[in-house]
Amino acid sequence: MKNLLEMNGVKYFYQTKESEINALENISFSIKERDFSSIVGPSGCGKTTILSLIAGLLTPSEGAITLNGSPITKNDSRIGYMFQRDHLFEWRTIWQNIILGLEVQKKHKQPEKLAFAEELLKKYDLYNFKNKKPRQLSGGMRQRVALIRTLVLEPQLLLLDEPFSALDFQTRLKVCDDVYDIIKSEQKTALLVTHDISEALSMSDKIIILTKRPAVVKKVVDISFQGIAPLAKREDKEFGKYFEMIWRNLV
Amino acid sequence: MKRKNKNKIVSYSKARKQYLKTIKKDKILVLFWQITIFVLFLGIWQLLADFGVIDPFFFSSPSRIATTIVDLAKDGNLWLHIWTSLYETIIGFVIATLLGVLIAILLWWSEKLRRIMEPYLIILNSLPKIALGPMIIFWVGSGTGATIVMCVLICIVITTISMLNAFISCDSDKILLMKSMHANKFQILFKLILPSALPEFTSVLKINVGMSWVGTIMGEYLSSKAGLGYLINYGSQILKLDIVMASITLLCVLAAGMYFLVSPLEKKFKR
Repeated sequence: MKNLLEMNGVKYFYQTKESEINALENISFSIKERDFSSIVGPSGCGKTTILSLIAGLLTPSEGAITLNGSPITKNDSRIGYMFQRDHLFEWRTIWQNIILGLEVQKKHKQPEKLAFAEELLKKYDLYNFKNKKPRQLSGGMRQRVALIRTLVLEPQLLLLDEPFSALDFQTRLKVCDDVYDIIKSEQKTALLVTHDISEALSMSDKIIILTKRPAVVKKVVDISFQGIAPLAKREDKEFGKYFEMIWRNLV
Repeated sequence: MKRKNKNKIVSYSKARKQYLKTIKKDKILVLFWQITIFVLFLGIWQLLADFGVIDPFFFSSPSRIATTIVDLAKDGNLWLHIWTSLYETIIGFVIATLLGVLIAILLWWSEKLRRIMEPYLIILNSLPKIALGPMIIFWVGSGTGATIVMCVLICIVITTISMLNAFISCDSDKILLMKSMHANKFQILFKLILPSALPEFTSVLKINVGMSWVGTIMGEYLSSKAGLGYLINYGSQILKLDIVMASITLLCVLAAGMYFLVSPLEKKFKR
């Protein structure tokens, strides 16, 4: 597979009243098409900043980010973003939440887009909840709706910013499986940011380990138990070895 | 107990039946005491007046209030006074709410404008608007116009401040989500900021019902030829306190009526 995302020598400084903060120092890595990659690093090292830069919500101070060979633009529509919390709009029904992005991009009257949204709802067991309000759904279902809301826009790259951190442990494991399954079956490329090594390990083909601020890429680890569901990977005998190696690189 | 719920027939367990019964009983009990307090208050007031414990000239009595209202109604002037006050209040209420929300939107839109205007908003909020009364009469003349302006002045600042607070307290990640979908500022406003502020808006409406009546009565005290505020002023000047009390009673009814018209909105938008 060819490289979809490339980050070359990306630096990012931000200004505060007191001083200039160097958040990222020379970040370079690439992500292959249809790969599931994760970024792990000490808390506050700038993981979310990297996602914001890739999404075009921030502009790098130095360096270049390209998607499919062309530079990232401001609020790049080729990127889908999934946040820590589902951020479903409580005043909208599940269906209205799912087509929110289509409405924003004025594509909500295109029959093929609506058909795709319906298809995703049906495929991932949410069709019967189409007319319900978000508060009537469980945490896991809400997170699935949030993912579908992003997928409906057919992004080339999905950014996941600790999307499971607000869930309790049991739901988290289940939702991890669901999200992984959806992303793989839709053949999407995904980049997950997490502070949870097990979560990164159970979902990823590749893990990018960052140092503390100002962050640089410390190590890139290719994970080789592909093709198994995240929950099953946790029981693989290699899991512990990987975990220890990543842990050693983090501390 | 079995209850038909659309097409489904739901049968309840014993514990559920007991629970529902308790809720119903509680509701009835609250209503019972609300009515009892009202009846007792009127009854004791009437008795105290009848037996001369309180002087009906100063304190009036429920029967004297009722007679005064009937007399005013027979005169034909009552409807004019009610209509004038109601008209001024509703117009003031609507203008202040719309203008207040509009100013809040402008201040949300431009952070710089918000920072520039902040001290002015604080000063305007703490200023007793009644102090502007004489100026208002000079600017728009006495009568209905002045009352509406007073009403608007009293409601608009609090509407602006409350709505602006609701707008800027919208979750920043939700705004980021909209931006990541390529939304422009108009879309963020109409699809996120305004709908998410609806619960706050209904609270503002409820507050404005009370505030707009304050504005109307203040305006009518200052300068008017009709309205319930005028009637209260007139009654006190000719020492007919029954007229004052009758006007206050009518005010209570009208304000409560307006409040009950607005309050179902709160239930609708409550999340």
